[in-house]
Order: sequence, then C-alpha cells, then structure tokens
Amino acid sequence: MASSVVKVEDVNKVYGSRKEASYQALDNVSFSIGEGEFVGVMGASGSGKTTLLQTIAALDRVTSGSITIAGTNVTDMKEKELTDFRARRLGFIFQDFNLLENMTVYENIALPLFLQNQKGGSVREEVQRAAGMLGMEDTLSKYPAMISGGQKQRAAAARALVHHPSMILADEPTGALDSGNAKGLLETLQHLNENHGVTIMMVTHDAFSASYCGRILFLEDGRLYKEMQRNGTREEFFKQILDEQAEAGKKKL
Amino acid sequence: MLVKLAWNGMKSKRKSYIILLTGLVMSIAIFYMFQTLALNNEFTSDNAMISSMQLVFHVGSFLLAVITFFYLLYTNTFLLSLRQREYGMFLLLGAKKSHLKRLMFLENLLIGAMALVIGIAAGTVLSWITARMVMGQLDAGLEGYHSFYLPSLVVTLLFFLVLFIVTAVWNHIKLSRVQVLDLVHADTTSDRMPARPKVNIVMMAAGIVSLTGGWLSLIFMEQLRETGIFSAAILTTLGTYLLFSSLLPVLLKAVKEKGTWKEKGVRAFTLSQLTFRVQNLKKFLATAAMLIALGAGAISGGMAFKNNAPVFAEQAGFYDAVVHNAGPEAEEILDDITFTGIWQYRYKQNEDYTFYLKEDLEGQPPKMRTSSGGVKTLENELPEDRESLADVKAARDPGSEWTRFLQRELSRDYSKAPLIVSRALYENIDAEEETVFAGKSDDFMSYLDPLAALEKIKEQKMEEAGKENYYSRSKYATFDNYQTLATGTVFMGFFLGTAFLAMMASCLMFKVLSGAAGDIPRYRMLQNIGVSRRLLKRSVAGELFVIFLIPAVLGLAHVLIGMNMFSFILLEPYYRIWVSLLVFILLYFLYYGLTVKMYQGMVLPQQK
Repeated sequence: MASSVVKVEDVNKVYGSRKEASYQALDNVSFSIGEGEFVGVMGASGSGKTTLLQTIAALDRVTSGSITIAGTNVTDMKEKELTDFRARRLGFIFQDFNLLENMTVYENIALPLFLQNQKGGSVREEVQRAAGMLGMEDTLSKYPAMISGGQKQRAAAARALVHHPSMILADEPTGALDSGNAKGLLETLQHLNENHGVTIMMVTHDAFSASYCGRILFLEDGRLYKEMQRNGTREEFFKQILDEQAEAGKKKL
Repeated sequence: MLVKLAWNGMKSKRKSYIILLTGLVMSIAIFYMFQTLALNNEFTSDNAMISSMQLVFHVGSFLLAVITFFYLLYTNTFLLSLRQREYGMFLLLGAKKSHLKRLMFLENLLIGAMALVIGIAAGTVLSWITARMVMGQLDAGLEGYHSFYLPSLVVTLLFFLVLFIVTAVWNHIKLSRVQVLDLVHADTTSDRMPARPKVNIVMMAAGIVSLTGGWLSLIFMEQLRETGIFSAAILTTLGTYLLFSSLLPVLLKAVKEKGTWKEKGVRAFTLSQLTFRVQNLKKFLATAAMLIALGAGAISGGMAFKNNAPVFAEQAGFYDAVVHNAGPEAEEILDDITFTGIWQYRYKQNEDYTFYLKEDLEGQPPKMRTSSGGVKTLENELPEDRESLADVKAARDPGSEWTRFLQRELSRDYSKAPLIVSRALYENIDAEEETVFAGKSDDFMSYLDPLAALEKIKEQKMEEAGKENYYSRSKYATFDNYQTLATGTVFMGFFLGTAFLAMMASCLMFKVLSGAAGDIPRYRMLQNIGVSRRLLKRSVAGELFVIFLIPAVLGLAHVLIGMNMFSFILLEPYYRIWVSLLVFILLYFLYYGLTVKMYQGMVLPQQK
C-alpha cells in the first residue's frame, strides 16, 4: 500500500450533550485509506456512515480522536482553515447533484478553480481536462436543467476533481440515478480510480455500488465491524458483499 | 387543535415571522402617518405652498394604497413560501384542504391583528416624532396637526381589514388549485432559463425614445406647461418600464459572458444569481425606480420650497434692514450687524404725503432690485425742483422708478404717497424731521436674530402709533412669512416622500426575501465545496447591492431631471437638492443593510 491519504484514529462522535439524551454516532472508529484506493463504506441507515463522511470532509467536528488527511490533522483546524482546506484538498459528489442551476456546466465545473482565484487560461485548460476525463466536452455550455441526470452527476464528478484534490468523497452518488446511469457513473469512478489514480471514498448502502470498490468497510451502530478486500472479479466481490449482508442480517434474527 | 397547529407552525419559524410582522407594522405605520396628513384638510390647505396640495394628497393616498396592496401580496407569497413544505406534509398526512385554508386564514388573521395594533401605535409615535423633528428643525409650529387623528385611524383600520380579507381570499384560491406534490417538492423546482426574444431590440429602442421624450418634457416644462406634465409622466414611466424589461437582462448577460474578471472567487456565482433574479425582478425594479423618483422628488420639492426662502427674500428687496427713526435700542442692534453699505435719508410727513429730501437721494444713490432679479443703482434724473409743494404734487409721476423705489423699499405707510422735494421746500414743511436707515449686510441669513429683534421694535412702534392696517414689507418679514408657509410644505413633502420611499423599499425587501427560500440549497452546496462564510456573505451583499442600485440610479436621474418641473414656481428648484438626496440615500441604505442581513440569515447555513 502506498502512503496513506486518510488516517482516522479512535474517532468518537457524540450528538447531544446531556448524558441521557446523547447518541453515539461513531464509536472508536479507526482506519486508513492509501493513495489511489477506492474505498467503500457500507452500512444501513443510521449506522453512522454519513457522519463518518462528514467528519472526514470536515463538515462536522469529532468529539474525540483525530483525522489526518494528506498529512494535515483536520480535527484541530480553525473554521476558516477548514473551509480553505476543503476547497483545495477535497472533491465532493453528493446524492442530489448539487449543481447550481443558474450557472452553465462549465461554470459549475470551474467553480472550485474560481474560488482559488485561478486565472482564465489555466481554468479553461483544467475544466477541459476534467470534462474530457468524464466525456462531458459537449455539454459544457449548457445549463443543468438541459441535461440528463446521468450527465449532471458526471458534471458533479468533473467538478469534484477539477482542482486535483487529494481525495474525492462521494455520498450515495448513485442514489438519485436510474440503474443505467448509476452503472455508468460507477464505471466512471472506477475508471478515474484505475487509470488516473484518483483516491475515492464512497458511502453507500447498495451492494451493487459497493462492488466497484477495491475495499469495503462495514459500519454498524457507529462501529467498524468488518473490512473486505476485493481479490477476484467484480461479480465475485458482489456475491461476497451480499453474503456478508445476509450473514449480518441473520445475526439479528 | 387548529389554533395550536397554527401557533406552533408560526413559532417554529419565529425569525421569519418577526421579519414579516415588522414589515407589516412598518407598512401600517407609514399608511397611518400618511393618513394623519391626508385627511386633515384644515392643516394641509392652511400650510401648503401649492393650492392643489389636496389633490396631491389624494393621488398620493391612492398610490400608497396600491403599493401597500402589492406589498401585502409579496409578503403573502413570502408567508406561503415559508410554510409550503409544512402544509404539503399536512396534506400528505391526510389533512383536508378546508382545514389548511382555515389554518392559513387564522394565521393571516393573527398576524394582521397584531400588526394593526402595533402598526397604528408605531404610526402615532412616529408621526409625533417626525412632527417634533420638523418643528425643531424649522423652528416653527405645526398648528392643527395631530399625530393621533381618529379619521385616519378609522381609514387605516378599514383599509387594512379589506386588504387582509382580499389576501385571505387570494390564498384560498391559490391553495385550492395547488397539488400536494407541488407543495412537498416546492423546494426542488428549478428556475427556468430566461428566453431572449428578438423583440428586445425594438423594446430597447422604444424605451430609449420614450425616456428621452419624457426627460425632454421635464426639461422644457416651462414651454410645454400642461402638455408637458402629461407627456413627462407617461413617457418617463413607459420608457423606464421598456428599458428595464429589455436592457437589464441583456446587459447582465453581456457582462457575464465577457471578460475574465468574473472568474474570481464566487463572482461567477453572484453574477449568475443576478441574471436570474433580474429576470424575475425587472418589472418590479422599474416600479421601484418610479417610486424612488416620486418619493425623492417629493422630499426635494418640499425642501426646495423651503430653501427658496432666502432666495425669495433676496428677491423681495435689496436692503436687509430698513429702520425708521432708530432709537437707542435699535442702534444697539444695528451695531451688531456688519453692513457692506449704509444709506440714510431724511423725510417729513403730513396727512397724505411723505416728503423726501432731494439732496440725500442725490448724494447717496440708492440701490434696488430689478424685476429680473438683478441689482440696480438708481441714478436716474431726479424730478426737477419746483416752486411750490402744489407744483411738486401736480408733477408727481406715480409710475417713475423713483416713486416705485420709495414706495417699495423705504416707505412705512402706504397711505402716504412719496414726494421728492428740494431743500428750500423741505425746510418750509411744518413737520418733524424723521430719518430712515437702510442697510445691506454682508450676509442676510446670519443676522436673522437681530433682524427679528428690529422687526419686533418696529411692530411695537407701529402699534403705539395706532396704525392697524400696517403691513411690513421688510425683507425679514417676507422671509418669515414665506418660511412659515414653507414649513408646512416641507413637512408634507417629507412625509409624502418618506412614506413612498419606505414603502417602496419594504416592497423591494420582501420581493427579494421571498425568493430566498430557493437559494438555501445553493448556498449550502457552496459552503460544502469550501466557500468560506465571509465570501458567501459578500456574494449576497454584492448581488443585492446591484439589485438595489439599478432602480436607485434611474430613479435619481428622474429626480435630477424632474426637478425642472418646478422651475416656473420655484426660483431655484435645485437649491440644496443634496439634502433630500442624502435623506433618500440614508433611508435606502438602511433598507439595503436590513435586507442583506435578513437574506444572509435566511440562506446561509447555520454555523456549527
């Protein structure tokens, strides 16, 4: 494994301050993600997977423990530094595409670069590069309302990687897509990971989506209880995941 | 149960409802303030410079009512946008529409009643404060003006009750038509792309032509008179609307597509927000521009009348002080005034005539105002010396410049005709010799207090002499009379203008705020991808600044050009116009700041 991009150590996240009303969303979670990895985080609703993603994205603070991203400890950063860090080092893909419908696809993709005050020529170059990686060159001048859901999500992916982030964080990226478009997007992510070495962390509850990852972390009630490495084909991996889910389901019965 | 639901719903959005309530209170207070003046015929007709003041107030009332109506519609949309999700959920859970309608009606009633009570109270206090302020500023009383006026109270109550009922019915209809899913997903419907029809160019051309026509009518008002008033009103309004509708979107789009300066920070986003916003706002912004013009125009007009006082007094005569037979008291006062010129003439009086000594007039040629406003030294040939007083009387020329001068500037009793006599005749007149002192100070306005004191002494003297039909034509008296009358006009102009401006700004505020709900996800997303709060705040401020700026620029242009309209009643319609502009800008900035703060509070994600 190459050097680690994310290092999560003994992270706890407790919501609510009063003892009786508090709720532990993350319970002593530790793991790391190496450079160029495509890691999935699986779990049912309420298992804490979105909380985990948000703490890594520095959108939410941890109660204890530390998170280090690309050598930077984000847990003791100030709000302003965090914002800056997020803007420079992370790329996001959300379930609802989160494109700004009053801006063209080009402007949407270019937004992270504008925010870093990059100038005209280099911006155009970077946007073209990101769009090219995702096959979006023809839709750049269109508004989000004029393109399909799949294209929107690809545009969101292009925006996530236009500024060369250390890692892309994806939160149920296929949640709002039909099966055809979902498959397309997952293949795109896999392609980005394999051919361009982009590190991706994806949160999902769907076994099919998860089967595209190289490694999967299983989360339940805020605890990491299992880790699975993909060794064979995607089909085999998919089966393993389903078995694991069935196993976990049986225990509850 | 219903009451509880309504109450809980309102409590959950307390902040937004406070904004709504504040807005309503403001509009009611303004309407009430306006009515305290508009309905008080006695006060307006006694205190106005323009005879048609009553008409102005009726038109003003009507306009204010129309704006208030639209304002309520906007606030209503705002209210609906606040609750639509909740209503949708109620419907989804099986609440009947009739239930919801009652719920909404109840909410409207509750807010309306609260706003009416607070609004009228606030209106009373505000109008009292304004009246005090104006009185203090102009050191003049506003007799006959009441800040608590029953007819105004009744009219305000009735008007708003009718309006509340109308909006309730409006809501009723709106809710009947709407589908459950529309409400639940109200947040996710996206804005439509603006269309760019080719008629734009025609509209733009027509707009420029009619605006030019309107402005020209304003500039040449003196020549056009009545036609000018109509053409100015129609063409300016038409031009404003056409230009706003056609030019604004194109202009913003051009800015957006050209240049690389936008590719910095969130500028691209701010600009995109603007292009979309303006598409929805353009007609409203045109209305705002017109209202700004009317409001600022009313304040400027009132001020110009008032500011006209020194100019008007200057026109009334050349001498700042004219004192007959100055006593020690008067001398003392005169010593305090720095005169740039002093004239002293001797005269004698009998039953019917005042006899001026010719050599005095010859030795100190007096100055007088010409009808065109200039200053002229009287060096005309004085009447020839005569043998007897009878001859002088016979040769009297009532139309001569000398007669007019003596009558207008020096005489203290109009019943006595002025005559100019040689020393020989003068000495034979059997009357006490009297003197008149005439002085021109270095600055009339800075000696108002001593001049008032002189006026008082003069009045006392006249009273003692028993001259009841005495009328002072002194410069100070002219100034004072004008000032009193103008105070009423300023007060009304100020009221009228402030009411318009405040109402318009409130409308703009709510129109903008009612679109804020749709912006929440955009700002949340921007923050997620790492735009700092500071930058987002700046983006909001910048976007709203342009929205507020556009109508202000055109509205002020209207005012600056429109003040020409008064050129045939006012000597200097532009006199100290910056005062009124300053009032407008301050008020407007206040609203701008308020809107920005509220908007930021609504759209920016809560800080963790």
